[in-house]
Amino acid sequence: MTLWIPLLVPLLGAFAVLACRHARVAVRVALGVGAIEVAALANAVWAVHSAGVLQSGHYLRADGLTAFFLINIGLIFSLVLAYSVGYLRHIPHGRFSSARWFFALIFLLLFTMLGVYLSANLGMMWIAVETTTLVSALLVGFYNTEGAVEAGWKYLILCTVGIAFALFGTITLYLAAIRSGLPADTALDWTSLMNAAPQMSGARELIKLAFVFVAVGYGTKIGFVPMHSWLPDAHAEAPSPISAMLSAVLLNCALYALLRFDAITSRAIGSGFSHTLLLALGTLSVVVAAFLMVVQRDLKRLLAYSSIEHMGIVAIGIGLGGPLGLYGALLHTFNHSLAKALLFFTAGHIRSKFGTLRMDRIRGMARSLPWTSVALVIGSLAVVGMPPFGLFVSEFVILTAAFTQAHYLLAIVLLAAISVVFGAMLQHFQGMLCGEPQSMGARGKSLFADVAVMTTCAACLLLLGVRIPAVFTGFLHGAMAVLQ
Amino acid sequence: MGLISLAAAKTLASSAAFLFITVLLMAAAKRTATCIALFSAQCAIITAQILATAYLHHSGEGFLVAILVFAVKVVIIPYALLRVVKGLKTAGEVETSTTPVQSVYITAALIPLAFVVVRPYVRALAVDGQLLAAAVALVLSGAFLMVSRKKALMQVIGLVVLENGIFVAAITTTSGMPLVIEIGIFFDLLIGVLLMGVFVFRIRDTFDHVDVSKLRQLRG
Repeated sequence: MTLWIPLLVPLLGAFAVLACRHARVAVRVALGVGAIEVAALANAVWAVHSAGVLQSGHYLRADGLTAFFLINIGLIFSLVLAYSVGYLRHIPHGRFSSARWFFALIFLLLFTMLGVYLSANLGMMWIAVETTTLVSALLVGFYNTEGAVEAGWKYLILCTVGIAFALFGTITLYLAAIRSGLPADTALDWTSLMNAAPQMSGARELIKLAFVFVAVGYGTKIGFVPMHSWLPDAHAEAPSPISAMLSAVLLNCALYALLRFDAITSRAIGSGFSHTLLLALGTLSVVVAAFLMVVQRDLKRLLAYSSIEHMGIVAIGIGLGGPLGLYGALLHTFNHSLAKALLFFTAGHIRSKFGTLRMDRIRGMARSLPWTSVALVIGSLAVVGMPPFGLFVSEFVILTAAFTQAHYLLAIVLLAAISVVFGAMLQHFQGMLCGEPQSMGARGKSLFADVAVMTTCAACLLLLGVRIPAVFTGFLHGAMAVLQ
Repeated sequence: MGLISLAAAKTLASSAAFLFITVLLMAAAKRTATCIALFSAQCAIITAQILATAYLHHSGEGFLVAILVFAVKVVIIPYALLRVVKGLKTAGEVETSTTPVQSVYITAALIPLAFVVVRPYVRALAVDGQLLAAAVALVLSGAFLMVSRKKALMQVIGLVVLENGIFVAAITTTSGMPLVIEIGIFFDLLIGVLLMGVFVFRIRDTFDHVDVSKLRQLRG
């Protein structure tokens, strides 16, 4: 039951919200459901932490890795929910764009993402990943503007094709498992695959083929270059809380799926093949995204390319492997989601104040929006990996892993790309913050909830940068133990 | 050998050839409705293939999957797509970026390519080489339809053809995925196609056309 409750609450909550006639009631119901869900998730995480592994029936399972990502999704989701309440006041009403639909869809998205984390079966996990695409495409196209519809369409088509490749990879792994003597009905179960992996080395070629397809497929959802072209569009055109959700949670969700496959592949045929592929994809993503960030004009597109860059860094961490690389990679997913949520929340404020996200049209933000500017500065310092924020620590760990494993060229390329990103961010944000403020439409004072949300993000980033709490380290080691 | 098992064996032996024919006809088709009908026929061939396999292996699950494929892919998805075509009320031309003749030649070139690609796996896995090649040809031609056709709906058709290819590969190499997973995949596919239909209407409503090659506002 511990695992069923966090899955069922958002599903039922979505329908409950949809049943509300008035927007105000819908918002209250949504907040109530959100609070219950956070409690249910906390309960599940704690149960997993004390029990090690929880299994419920054939299809639900949670272990240390699940628990780690559940903390991530629970934290970011509650922040997004709190932020959405204030944000939604600006949403124009349309056929499917109303507060009701927004909250119903965001709960459905949460349901599907939890499905990815909690499924015990790789086929089930694929189904859940595909459903996240379907639900989030509706949220990307939420505004029904030309840009939103185009981005939604591109996202839907490209990610469905990508995910179809992941299905092919999953089937190939299934085939390899059956040929190695696993019974057909458990050949996709994570536990039995992990147990049988050392005996699967006979099907070496099939496992390699499977991992290539899965890396391309789930890599499309993670936004690895060259499968990234949907990502900036979707993240930029979606409403800001959804951008935060896509960037801070959904990317991690797809990454989680890839991590599971990587663990099986590494155990079956050694880590050389899969890790080399991840290093190549990661390096390519970091380098290409860094240079594309220099030429961006739209703030949210800039942030989206930054997500590609950070997912690349995470892939490099996984690809380097070993305790150090994996530790850095997992910590980086968490840090990145906090920083990116903060920045997208800031972008939402900027948009409602200036009516645009074109960075060359925004001037004098430091004077007209002092608190949002502080959040932007903190977020951008964190996201480029400056101390004393969490991303500095995780990037440093990954770089240390690269140097200790004598990947000098890789480390130098990574450092160079991070410097380019730093320069790009500095150049873009300096123009926005400085100068004389132009006249602009008035907007009500920022809500208490918004300030609280952004302060939480910043405080967590600072905490993870200065001193990682012992409890959190425990969860991190629990997650690493699953993969090694 | 009984008459039915003979028929089943013949079906398996000839379904690859029929799949190649549908692929080529789709490349030549000028109207979206024709493509949808061809897709439906393609799925009917796959249904026959599953039925034959299920009969030869005496698998009850196989018959269930066959019913599912028939309901979802032969009836519901083509019906939904035809409804979209009708609802759009624009001329049902597919509008290619290549001429039909070029399309057919390119698709015809994809088929031998598919045979070359699968050769090492056929030997290692001891499976039906023609069917596996047909699966790869479906994937490739689906992808080709997606990139060469301008209408939004044709991208959806390309996608379901591509998915058909993966499905054929799955049933040729394994005796099918566990039933629950299979049902989940069909459900996802169905919802996906319906959602894409909704998006096609949204594209029409916001842009006044459904030509995806003109959707180039978001760049860089």
